[in-house]
Amino acid sequence: MARTAQYASERRRFERGPDRLAAAAAGLGLAGLAAGLALGPRVGWDVFFRSYLLNYCFVLSLALGALFFVMLQHLTRAGWSVALRRIAEFVVAALPWLAVLFLPLLIPVFQGRAGVYKWSSPEVVAGDPLLQAKAAWLNPAFFTVRCLVYLAVWSLLAVVLVRDSVRQDATGDVAHTHRLERWSAPGMLLYGLTVTFFAFDVLMSLNPHWYSTIFGVYFFSGCVVGFFALLALLVLSVQRAGGLTASVTVEHYHDLGKLMFGFVVFWAYIAFSQYMLQWYANLPEETALYFARQNEPWWRGVSLLLLVGHFVAPFLALISRFPKRRPGLLLPAAVWLLAMHWLDLYYLVMPRPHGTAYKPAAYLHWTDLALLVGLVGPFVAAVVRPMARHALLPERDPRLTEALAFENI
Amino acid sequence: MAAHPVEIDNTWERPGERAPLVTGGHTFASLTDTVCAVWEAPRPPRAWYIAFTISVALLAVFGAMIGYLIINGVGVWGLNNPTGWGFDITNFVFWVGIGHAGTLISAILFLFRQKWRTSINRFAEAMTIFAVMCAGVFPAIHVGRVWLVYWLAPYPNQMAMWPQFKSPLLWDVFAVSTYATVSLLFWYVGMIPDLATFRDRARTRLKRIIYGLLALGWTGSSRHWHRFERAYLILAALATPLVLSVHSVVSFDFAVSQLPGWHATIFPPYFVAGAIFGGFAMVVTLAVPARALFGLRDLITLRHLENMCKIILLTGLIVGYAYAMEFFIAWYSGNPFESFIFRSRALGPYAWAYWTMIACNVLAPQLFWFKRIRTSQLAMFLVVMAINVGMWFERFVIIVTSLSQDFLPSSWDYYRPTAVELLTLAGSFGLFFTLFLLFCRYLPMVAMAEVKTVMPHADPHAHPHAHVPATRRFDYNPDEFDQEPPA
Amino acid sequence: MSHAAPAAPPSVPAAAPRTVALLAEFDSPGALLTAAELVRDAGFRRWDTHTPFPVHGIDQAMGIRRTRLPWIVFAAGLFGCTAGLVLQWFTNATSAADAPGLWTIFQGYNYVISEKPALSLPAFVPVIFELTILCAALAAVIGMLAMNDLPRHPHPLLALPRFRRVTSDRFYLVVDADDPQFDPVRTRAFLRQLPHAVAVEDVPEDRSSAALPRGLVIAITILVALALLPPLLVARARLSKTTEPRIHLIQDMDNQERFKTQQAGPFADRRASRPPIPGTIARGDLAGDAHLLTGRLGNDWAATFPASLAIDLPFVQRGRERYGVFCAPCHGYGGAGDGIVSQRALRLNTEGWVQPTSLLDQTVRDRPVGHIFNTITNGIRSMPPYGDQIPPADRWAIVAYIRALQRSQNARLEDIPPHVQADLR
Repeated sequence: MARTAQYASERRRFERGPDRLAAAAAGLGLAGLAAGLALGPRVGWDVFFRSYLLNYCFVLSLALGALFFVMLQHLTRAGWSVALRRIAEFVVAALPWLAVLFLPLLIPVFQGRAGVYKWSSPEVVAGDPLLQAKAAWLNPAFFTVRCLVYLAVWSLLAVVLVRDSVRQDATGDVAHTHRLERWSAPGMLLYGLTVTFFAFDVLMSLNPHWYSTIFGVYFFSGCVVGFFALLALLVLSVQRAGGLTASVTVEHYHDLGKLMFGFVVFWAYIAFSQYMLQWYANLPEETALYFARQNEPWWRGVSLLLLVGHFVAPFLALISRFPKRRPGLLLPAAVWLLAMHWLDLYYLVMPRPHGTAYKPAAYLHWTDLALLVGLVGPFVAAVVRPMARHALLPERDPRLTEALAFENI
Repeated sequence: MAAHPVEIDNTWERPGERAPLVTGGHTFASLTDTVCAVWEAPRPPRAWYIAFTISVALLAVFGAMIGYLIINGVGVWGLNNPTGWGFDITNFVFWVGIGHAGTLISAILFLFRQKWRTSINRFAEAMTIFAVMCAGVFPAIHVGRVWLVYWLAPYPNQMAMWPQFKSPLLWDVFAVSTYATVSLLFWYVGMIPDLATFRDRARTRLKRIIYGLLALGWTGSSRHWHRFERAYLILAALATPLVLSVHSVVSFDFAVSQLPGWHATIFPPYFVAGAIFGGFAMVVTLAVPARALFGLRDLITLRHLENMCKIILLTGLIVGYAYAMEFFIAWYSGNPFESFIFRSRALGPYAWAYWTMIACNVLAPQLFWFKRIRTSQLAMFLVVMAINVGMWFERFVIIVTSLSQDFLPSSWDYYRPTAVELLTLAGSFGLFFTLFLLFCRYLPMVAMAEVKTVMPHADPHAHPHAHVPATRRFDYNPDEFDQEPPA
Repeated sequence: MSHAAPAAPPSVPAAAPRTVALLAEFDSPGALLTAAELVRDAGFRRWDTHTPFPVHGIDQAMGIRRTRLPWIVFAAGLFGCTAGLVLQWFTNATSAADAPGLWTIFQGYNYVISEKPALSLPAFVPVIFELTILCAALAAVIGMLAMNDLPRHPHPLLALPRFRRVTSDRFYLVVDADDPQFDPVRTRAFLRQLPHAVAVEDVPEDRSSAALPRGLVIAITILVALALLPPLLVARARLSKTTEPRIHLIQDMDNQERFKTQQAGPFADRRASRPPIPGTIARGDLAGDAHLLTGRLGNDWAATFPASLAIDLPFVQRGRERYGVFCAPCHGYGGAGDGIVSQRALRLNTEGWVQPTSLLDQTVRDRPVGHIFNTITNGIRSMPPYGDQIPPADRWAIVAYIRALQRSQNARLEDIPPHVQADLR
C-alpha cells in the first residue's frame, strides 16, 4: 500500500554527487597535509608525527568500528540493520586506503625519533634496561612487519565483505549471504587479535614502560563509539541528500541511538576499569601514565572534559527514548561523540613522556588541526566514492524486508 | 500435542525466513497445557524423585559441613599462610558466575530482540537466583566469626564504626545483594502472568489461593500489560549493566591488589565473559535433561540449544583471548614477578590444575565450531560438563597459584583442600539442585506468556481474523443498537 | 481444554447480583484489535481488554497513553546515586571531629588506607552504581505494581468461569457498567455485533467473601507471632537487669583453661605462679661498675672512659660500625644531624619533627663522655633510649667513635700523622 509506494519511489543511488564530493574532500585533505608539512619544521617533526598519529588513529578507528559492525551483523544474521549495512560497508571500504596512509608513520620509527617512539631510538634503548628487555618485540623491523600484517588482514576482510555484498545487488543469490557469514566468524577472531595488537604496538608503546592488559579492548570500545556516531551522521546526510527516505525509518535511528548509548556506557566501563585498578594498586610504573595526565591544569582539564563529555553528558542525553527517535536531536549527539572520541585519542597520544628531549611549548598545535583535515579528507573521499558506483542499501539482500518492517519495543 | 520422540531440527534457516521457535504445531492452548502438565501431573517423573533424593542428601551434607565449620572454626579448612583464600572464594566466584547467564538470557538477549530466549529465560533466571544463594553462603561462612557477619552492613552503632567502603570486599556485599534482589524481582515480576495461569487452572482450593496470592490478582488487562512491558524493559535495561558490574566487582577483589597474576586491568570484562561462559554451560547442562524429562522438546528446541552453544563458543573465545593477553603482557611488562607466575602456573606445583583449565576452557569449546556437535545433545552435554569443570578450575588457578607463590619465596606454601572443603563444594550443588527441582515442580518452568508472543498466531496481522488497521474513525450511534439482534 | 468446569456455587439469596461489566470473547489477537479500535472510536472510556500475552499494537488500538513509569525510575536512580555518594562520604570521609555535636552512633569514621584520600571517588563508584541500580529497580517494580493497583482484591472477572481462559488462549474485551455510555441493552447489542466475537456475557458482581480461609489466617497469625518472638526476647534481655551472668553462647576464647596469677596451682607449694629463680636481679638493681654501666663517677658525669675498656683502633672501629647501625639513620654518617630519616621527615613536613642534634656542635664536644653515654642509654628529649638494644661496652665504643668524628671536623694539620700529611700536600 502506501509504504510500498514509498519504497518504489525512494532514491537508492546517487549518480555524480558523490564523485564531486569525494574530489572536494580529497582536495581539502591534500591541502591539509600540505599545510601540515609546511608547519612541520616550525612545530618540530616530533610534534608533526604525533599529530599525524593521532588523526590517523582517529579515522582508522572509525573504519575498524565499521568492520566490526558489518561482521557482527553477518554473524548474528541480523535483520533490522540491513538497511544501514551498505553505508557501513562504504566506511569499511576505506580500509585499504587507510593502509596506504599508515606508511608515513614508519618514518619516525626508522628515524629513531625518541619524541615519537622512545624504543625506536638506539641511544634511549641503550640506557634503559626495561626497553632492552622488550627489544625483541619493540624494534623497527618487527614493528613494521606486524603493522603490515594488521593492515593486510583488514584490507582483505574489507575487500571480501564489500565485494560479496555488492555482488548480491545484481543477482540476489543467497550464496553471498552464506559466504559472508562464513568469513565473518574467523574474521572476527582475526579482528580481535589484530586490533588489540595494533593498539599495543602503535598506541600503548608510546609509553613503553606502561602496560595494561585491557588496552586493546579500550581502543576497540572507542572505535565502536566513534563508528556508531559516524553511521548516524552518514545516514542522516544520505537522507538529507534525498536517498533512502523510506527504507531508513525512525526505528533505525532509535536503534542507532541505543547503540550509541550502550557503547558510551561500555567505553566508560572499560576506561573506569583501567583507571581505577591502576589507581588503586598505585604501582609507579602504571600510574606514571595517569600522573602525566593529571598533574598539569591543562591535562587535568582534558581528563575532566573526557569524563563529563564522553560519559556523563551523552549518558544523560541519550538515556530517554525522546532524542533517539528524533534524527534532528541525534545529529548533534553524533557530532559531539565524534569530537569526544578524538579527544580520547588526543588524551592517549599527546602527553609527552618524561625524559624525552623536548617539551612542548603548547598543548594544541596547528598541525593537529591541519592533519585532522589532512586525514579526514581522504577518509571521506574513500567513503563517499563508492556511493557513486553502488546502491545505497543491499537491494537484493534476503533479509531486507525484515529491515524495512521492524518496530522497536 | 503429546510429546513425540522424534527430534525436530529447526536449526537450518533460509536467509529471509526465520525458523520456527516453537515446533510441533502448537496452539496457545496446547502450549499452556504442555507447560502446565509438569505442575499438574499427579506425580513428577521418577527421575525427578531420584535427583531430588540425591540433592537433599547433598544439602544435608552442606548443612553439616557448615555447622561443623562454625563450631570448630576455619581451621577445619586447609587454608594456610600465604594461601588465605582457597576453595571458599573459588566456590563463591564459581557460583556467582553461573548466575550471570540467567540474567544475560533474560535481560541482554531481550534488549537485543532475540526471540528465542523466551523458552529458556524463566528457568535460567531461576538458576540465577539459586546460584546466587549458593554463592552468598561462601563469603558469609569464610569470615571466621560468622555471627558477626552483620558488621559488613552500614548501620549506626555505638562504636561509631562503619564498613570500609574503599574495599572491594565491601563492594561485593553491595553488588551481590543488589544482584540477588534485582534478579529476584525480575524473576518474580516476569512470573506473575504465568502464576495467574496456574491460578486459573488450579484444581484444589489451596492451590488456587496460593497461586492467586502470588499472582497478585493479575487479570491480563492490556492497560496493565502496558506498564508491565515498560517495567520489564526498564528492569532488563537495569539488569544489563548490573550483571556486568557484579562480576566486575568480584574481579576487583583480585585486580585491585598488587599480586602478580591478580593485578591485570583486563579482569573485569574477562571475568564477565567467563561468567557468561560458565553460566551458559550450566544452562545447557540443565536444559538438555529437563526438556526430555518434562516433555518440553517443542519449546526448548534444537535451535535454542544450538544458539546457546554458539554463545558458549563466543564467550569461550573471549576467555581464551584474555588468557593470551595476560600471558603476553606478563612478558611485555618486563616484570619478573609477573612472568614468573605465568611460568609457574603452566609448569609449577599447580600445573595439573592449569592444564585441566586450558583443556576444558580453551580446547573443549572449539568443538562447537562444528554444527554436528552443536546439534548433538550428547556431545554438547559432554562439552558443557567439561566447561563447568574448567571454569571452576580457572578460579582455583587464579586464586591459589598467585597466593601460594607471591613475592617472597620464603613465604610460599602449597595449599591442599581438606575433606570438609570438598564436601562443602559438593554440598553446594545439593542446595542448588534441590531448589531447582522444587522450582521445576511447583513453579512455571517456561515463560508461557512470552513464548506465546513469538508464535506465529500472536501476530495480529496473521490469520485467522487478520487485523487491518482502520483507515477511518468508526462512527458510533447507540440508537442503532436498540434491540437485541437475533441470537 | 483439559480443565473441568468447577462445581456450581451454593445457591445465593433472592436478589440477583448486579452486572458490573459486559464481556466479549475473541479467539485471536487480530479480532481483538479490530474490536478494540471500534470500541475506542465509539467513545467508551471505562473499558479494557484482557489477553494472555501483550498483543502487539493494542496500545494504539485502545488509545493507551505512554506511562510515566520511566520518569519515576529515573528519579529513583538519581536518588540512589546521591544516597550512595552521601553514605560513603559521610561514613568514610568524615570523623567525629567534623561533627562534634552529633550523636556518636551517627558520627563518621575516617579510615586511613594506603594514603588514599578520604573522599576517593574511584573507590566510591562501585557502591554508588549498585545503589543507583537497586533504587531504580525497586522503583520500577513497586511503581509498576502500584500504578496497576496490584495486589488487589480479586476482580469480579476472576470469578467468571469463562474468563479462566484469559491466561491460556482467549482474548476478552470488557466494558464497565460505570462507563457514561453504558446501556445494558445497547452496549450488549453493540458487543454482539463486533466482528468475530465468540461470545458476550454479563459479569456479575462478586459477592463471595474476599476473606482468606480460616486455616490460612490462623497459620499466618501463628507464623507472625513466632517471628516476633526473637526480637521480643532480645528486647527483654536488653532491658532487664539480673544478677546471673549472661548466656555466653559464643565463647570466642573468652574463658580459657589457664592459670592466672595468685591462683591456686598444681605445684607442691600449691601456687600457680612460680618464684623467680636464684640469681634474678630486678631492673635497675644491677650492682656493678657504675662508671661502666651508667657513665657516672659519684654524682658527676665521667670525663674518662672506664678502665676496663681498651681504647684502641678495633674498639673505635667497632664503635663506628655500631654507630652506623643505630645512630647514623638520624644523626647522619658524619654526625651532622642529617641522617636519611631526618631528611625524609623534613621533606614530608612531618609535624613536630625536630632535627637531631649535630654531634659536631661545640655543646656536644664540651660534654663529658659519661653524659654522652647516658644519652645513648636513656635517650634525651625526643630521642628514644637505646640501653636495651646496645650492650654497655658497645655504647662506650660509640662514644669513642663520636669523639673521633668530632675530632675529625675540628683537627689541625699538626694532628695528622706525618706520613698522611705528606699525601695531603
